[in-house]
Amino acid sequence: MTAGPDGARANAPGGPPADVIVLDAVTRVFQVGDSEVRALDGVSLSVRRGESVALMGPSGSGKSTLLNVLGCLDTPTSGRYVLDGEAVEKLSEDQLADVRQRKIGFVFQAYHLVARMSAARNVELPMIFAGVPPAERRQRAQEALTSVGLAHRLTHRPDQLSGGERQRVAIARATAMRPSILLADEPTGNLDTKAGDEILGLLERLNAEGLTLVIVTHDPNVGRRAGRLLRMRDGRLVEEP
Amino acid sequence: MNARRLGAGDVFRLAAESLSGHRLRSALTLVATAIGVTAVVLLTALGDAAKRYVVDQFASIGTNLVIVLPGKTETSGVMGSFGGTTRPLTLEDAVALPHRATLVRLVVPLSLGSATFEYGGRSRDVFVLGTTSDYFDLRQLQMSSGQFLPPGDLRRGERVVVIGRAIQRQVFAGENPLGKPVRIAGARFRVIGVLMPKGVGMGVNLDELAIVPVATGMRLFNQQGLFRMICQAPDAAAVPAVVAQVKKVMRERHDNQEDFSILTQDSMLATFTSIINALTAGLAGIAAISLAVAGILIMNVMLVSVSERTGEVGLLKALGARRRQILSLFLAESLLLSAQGALAGVAVGVALVYTAAAIFPDLPLAPSPGWIVFVTLLALAAGIAFGLLPARRASRLQAAEALRAAK
Repeated sequence: MTAGPDGARANAPGGPPADVIVLDAVTRVFQVGDSEVRALDGVSLSVRRGESVALMGPSGSGKSTLLNVLGCLDTPTSGRYVLDGEAVEKLSEDQLADVRQRKIGFVFQAYHLVARMSAARNVELPMIFAGVPPAERRQRAQEALTSVGLAHRLTHRPDQLSGGERQRVAIARATAMRPSILLADEPTGNLDTKAGDEILGLLERLNAEGLTLVIVTHDPNVGRRAGRLLRMRDGRLVEEP
Repeated sequence: MNARRLGAGDVFRLAAESLSGHRLRSALTLVATAIGVTAVVLLTALGDAAKRYVVDQFASIGTNLVIVLPGKTETSGVMGSFGGTTRPLTLEDAVALPHRATLVRLVVPLSLGSATFEYGGRSRDVFVLGTTSDYFDLRQLQMSSGQFLPPGDLRRGERVVVIGRAIQRQVFAGENPLGKPVRIAGARFRVIGVLMPKGVGMGVNLDELAIVPVATGMRLFNQQGLFRMICQAPDAAAVPAVVAQVKKVMRERHDNQEDFSILTQDSMLATFTSIINALTAGLAGIAAISLAVAGILIMNVMLVSVSERTGEVGLLKALGARRRQILSLFLAESLLLSAQGALAGVAVGVALVYTAAAIFPDLPLAPSPGWIVFVTLLALAAGIAFGLLPARRASRLQAAEALRAAK
């Protein structure tokens, strides 16, 4: 893999880079007491725009650390990370917040919906912090919820929704800011098979519409359905054909 | 590219949403703040009422007064010191003063003693005030029946008396006192008038006063000098000139010795009000301490809230909220708590003040707007000050760790 800010593949001049994620020799070292733990040990990875990638591996293999680095929730100890043409490994905390807001959507295993807020209000949340005017963000929240099939659940609170519906709200929230990538951490982990299938179907549809997808999962079935399957072991990536 | 503005409306809506998620805890904090604010509102209203009461009392003895006392006082104390060489204030002084001190509107000499007042079989002890017809004007009196002391040479001592309503009620028991012969300290007097009730002014209850001509009063108690002389300036602006003129005339009459004291109503009032102001501020300060306690409670509530909502903070950070936005969110919560507490406290305090005013109509009780503004601002400041630490803690949470903590 040759060096270059935009990754190895050639890009159309002036257009968006073909590789939306480029990791180059990324390490992440945690200090635990007196010893160092290398959670990421020289990870290099390129993900094309519109690709869908599944990330599997035993617990402690570094999946979560990699996801945190990809999501700009954590910064690498060394190595480079170019997200959608922007080098982010040296950005300040506020700049990282901006990158997360504009480019990254998160979907969590436990949904992470704010319990006291309606579905629509939960979807509005990222737009509130982005300063989107109230009328516009209400409109966009409604559209996002409609597109995940929850037009009839706008005013429901999370505890009035089923697990599958909650994850749909979370996905609507993650896509409300029209991010470059969607990071899903065990998105079906708390769901039964049927609801999990529906959520996977929804994610695949979004992917088909052009959204780059990175899914961390324990479920081999989920892994198989992704366009590319990456396995992690001891902080290193093992790509499977 | 992005505006990155989190409007105040959005901040407070988010804060209100999260407070309503912990109703009991929020309510308790609110009550603590409210109690502190109520205490300040109530106590300062009491202090101001005391001040107004004193001012009213001073006003009730007349306005723009310059008081001449026998003896020289070195301080602004109210009582004169009676040194051995002190010459008394004489009736002659009272006669001469209005002629020579031309700026003075009125000069009213006063003598004072206490004696037994008898009529028929009944008697009671009364204060006997010796004065002149001008006293009626000075104190804005009104007659219930009959007439006040007649004008004329104040050195003439007629045996006539004007009585207050309490004396009429107790000694005459419904009988018409006009023209009736009475005995005061054993001497015979004729009742010529009864005053309308006016109540207490500067500790002297007019209703229980027997008023006689000043020369008569001095003779009755065998007094050489006057109790004091009260001069009235035509208006407030003229008071200093009147003081100077009265002082000059009196010095000349007293062989160039200043063996008398001159007090102005304003200087006496200023002394009283400064004492009461200090008391009020002290009371308010004590009450404000309870606000500090409320502030610490707010801090506690917010700290608990932050640690409970670690996952939520992580989520907001994942969604792109900046540190400063998280900080303002939590600050808004504590500000909202203290603002609601202040509002409730002011409402309860004002209600209590009006209730107390209804129960004690004699006290001029009213809420003090200045203090209410002050204590409200103080409560808001406490909300911000004590909310800062928890809000900083929230804003500095690491996003990845905060999210993990919530799992």
